[in-house]
Amino acid sequence: MQGASISRWTMSYFAAALVFLLAGQALLAVGFGYPVKPVEAPETLVIVHLLAVGWLGLLFCGALLQFVPVLVSKPLHAPHLALHALVLLIGGLLLLCCGFIHLAGYVEGGLVLLPIGGLLLATGFTLIAVMIGGTVLQARPVALSARFVGLGLISLLATAGLGLAFALELSGLTDTGWLHALIPGGLSLHAYFGLIGWMSASAFGVSYRLMTMFLLSPEAERTTSRTALALLAAGIAAAAAILLSLALGRETSVAVHLPLGLAAAAALLFGYDVLTIYRTRKRKSLELNTIMSAGAVAALMLSVLLYLTLVLTGRLQDDIGTLVYLVGFGWLSLLGLGQLYKIVAFMTWLEYYGPVLGRRPVPRVQDLVNERRASGWFYLYAAMVAVAVAFLLAGIAFPVQVAALGQAIAAAGLMVELARTRHLCYVSTEPADSKVRRHPPLFLPNPVERS
Amino acid sequence: MAIEYKTLDVRPILLSGGEPFPAIMGAVDDLMPGQGLKLLAPFRPQPLFSVMERRGFDYELEEMGGGDFEVRFLPKQPQATVDASVNANAPDLWPEPSVDLDLSELDPPEPMVRLLAEAERLEPGEVIFAVLSREPLFLFPELTRRGHQWVGNFDTTGSFYRIMIRVGATEESSHGR
Repeated sequence: MQGASISRWTMSYFAAALVFLLAGQALLAVGFGYPVKPVEAPETLVIVHLLAVGWLGLLFCGALLQFVPVLVSKPLHAPHLALHALVLLIGGLLLLCCGFIHLAGYVEGGLVLLPIGGLLLATGFTLIAVMIGGTVLQARPVALSARFVGLGLISLLATAGLGLAFALELSGLTDTGWLHALIPGGLSLHAYFGLIGWMSASAFGVSYRLMTMFLLSPEAERTTSRTALALLAAGIAAAAAILLSLALGRETSVAVHLPLGLAAAAALLFGYDVLTIYRTRKRKSLELNTIMSAGAVAALMLSVLLYLTLVLTGRLQDDIGTLVYLVGFGWLSLLGLGQLYKIVAFMTWLEYYGPVLGRRPVPRVQDLVNERRASGWFYLYAAMVAVAVAFLLAGIAFPVQVAALGQAIAAAGLMVELARTRHLCYVSTEPADSKVRRHPPLFLPNPVERS
Repeated sequence: MAIEYKTLDVRPILLSGGEPFPAIMGAVDDLMPGQGLKLLAPFRPQPLFSVMERRGFDYELEEMGGGDFEVRFLPKQPQATVDASVNANAPDLWPEPSVDLDLSELDPPEPMVRLLAEAERLEPGEVIFAVLSREPLFLFPELTRRGHQWVGNFDTTGSFYRIMIRVGATEESSHGR
């Protein structure tokens, strides 16, 4: 038993993720793609991938590299792959986005960039799956929270593989019948595997463990949690079955309703569990990260409500962009930002003060942050998401752009706060060790490799 | 460790023609972690054994006379795995702990700070015993790095983590600074 150490490249994943968040939000604000252009326009695909792969994907990968070892009490498997995966993912994403810009017709040719980017991304995500999956499998029997992560990894590979298939098809490099048949119905499955199978499932699993940890709630494997896992797994299996029948050229009239319905049911159970975790907590006062996580789960519940409303009114097809916006920004991004705020402070504290703990007085983790300042940015961010969703539903684009600008500003504000935490700006005590740096490096690993 | 039993007598239920299974399952659901169930039945409740096996219980059977049986369902002991640092040397021979700390109520990472401070304060060779609410995963590498040895495991209920730390002799030399 070695315990858990600082994941060396996680801060770099986080920094890259935040840059992509800012880029994606800025493009939304200037009206580069959706909602000014259609959901399926190449410009929208640039934004969607900057946010889904660049922001959420890198954020989740970085966080899982740090916290899956904590979930399963085993050291990270093959940690040296972390840098390779990061470089592949960033490089692949940039090439893919260049490919989309070519696809939009701004520049001639260049479509070959799509499959090259897709291949790099698929390779990078495979390395992530090797590291995380290898860690999870070391700890058998696999705990419930880690099983969610495992389900997420399977979906991640499905998302990346499907994306690569689309990239090949769009580039015109191949002319295969079954690839042809995949595109129309397959796009929604690609999004399903990504947003629900990969990110939401992982987020469920990590939340179960981290929320009980942060709130000091009793840890229990609840029937509702196990049912949520089974429903999600059934949804992903259903999506895979639909994918198969599409590839075989069969019509599937149910489309993604069955997988979506199953996921919605899983989300409701997750929401119920979170409520229980919050109710049974021993830590009475909520910290900013747990308040934001609660907001994110509320957004997830609203997403389910919105989904049901859209289905009942027959508007799902027209308003799918709104639903994705709420899931992406309200649920996943708000949860991610909230947890990021806590994780960065904790990792910085451990990295910088760990060596001198017990030898001299050190600040507490919460002394590294200024919650009052950060909460302003968090509330601005959440409010702007709500505004954007409201105007998307109303079908008015311009206020959505303004709200996206507000989100970008809030994200930038939070980035400054995170950088101030890394630079120990809020700590008034003496430096931990005057012989070393005044503060940890902003986002690169500490050059002093500790034995 | 002596197991504490909750007793359920299903003979009256059966006598009045009732179905005892829901009552048994209800009693199992209400058991505290680590608690066992003592069941009094007018016959050998064979089908129950596999059901309880799946729910994580072993059984002991005793005939009481008059055809009645007493079955004691006891929670299966999780394999008594003990975690230990790679440098942990003959923990059975460690001296009695000099300090005994209950840190289970502290918010993480406070227990880690307290334990490292205790280790600094004590003489090399002395032993700390502490109860925590969870595995101190980030503490383990720091202890080893500082030359301390440790062993630890969860208690049988799985809700507390117990750790013994033997303070190391060397300082700074292992630190690489």
